[in-house]
Amino acid sequence: MGKVLLPFFEWCESTVIASTIQNSLWLFPVIEAVHLLGLCLLGGSILLVDLRLMGFGLTHQSISELNRQVRPWLLVAVTVMIATGVPLFLSEAIKCYYNRAFWVKITTLPLALAFTFLVRNRIARADSKVAYINAATGAISVVLWFVVAAAGRWIGFS
Amino acid sequence: MMDLRLLGFAFKRVPASAFTERMLPWTRVGFAVSLVTGLLVFYSQPVRYYHNVFFRIKVLALILAGLNVWLFHSRIHRRVSQWDLNPVPPRAARVAGVVSIFAWALVVVTGRMIAYNWFDCDLQPQPDFVNWLAGCVVEAGVE
Repeated sequence: MGKVLLPFFEWCESTVIASTIQNSLWLFPVIEAVHLLGLCLLGGSILLVDLRLMGFGLTHQSISELNRQVRPWLLVAVTVMIATGVPLFLSEAIKCYYNRAFWVKITTLPLALAFTFLVRNRIARADSKVAYINAATGAISVVLWFVVAAAGRWIGFS
Repeated sequence: MMDLRLLGFAFKRVPASAFTERMLPWTRVGFAVSLVTGLLVFYSQPVRYYHNVFFRIKVLALILAGLNVWLFHSRIHRRVSQWDLNPVPPRAARVAGVVSIFAWALVVVTGRMIAYNWFDCDLQPQPDFVNWLAGCVVEAGVE
């Protein structure tokens, strides 16, 4: 796997986007700042529904209704995160390759996305009366996204 | 998310008071965690942070955010029952929402930027303005 992967990461760091960011003093911080602000929106969007699933927060709204209202903001947040995350990665791809936290993040992220949009979304729309299914879904979501966020932060401690 | 409600951009069918009564407690927990861990981080290198331009701006932004919270709760929010169900709240609430987003975004961004040493006192020469902003003690003849 390493024989295929490392050359790919080397190619990533050789892209125009990567070199533009590397040659700039301020581009990386600015893109990263937007990445962080997107994280705020992502965190809020995710937690609002997860808390509701676990029986906290805006309990007077149905889970499905809350999920529906949050959805556009969640989609915006994910878009911003990926749109800023990819350039950040490209600019330091090799460093990421050798960084354990990066691998934790990049493997957990698709898991978190799949869980959110395929599992949690369905359960939210079902408005189940079975509290423990909702609560477990919310808890799993919180754990998954926390791992992604924490691993993302840990990349910086290299 | 509450700020988005205050701006009338999101959750328009959720009463504004639902956010202040049901979500704000969680926000306060989050803030408490940030405050405690932040003080610990500061304690680890107090002089470095004290002289950091981004840290100073962050503290000012925190004060702005706190002031905004206090003004919001002591004024327009007192009358929340009048506008609770409005999809778009009155202007005072919307202003509070905008100021809140701006102030907290500034906190987040400047907080991240503290790690950059661009304006550090021990990296002279710096522009006089930067030295003043950071409270650098620059002695003549000392690098």
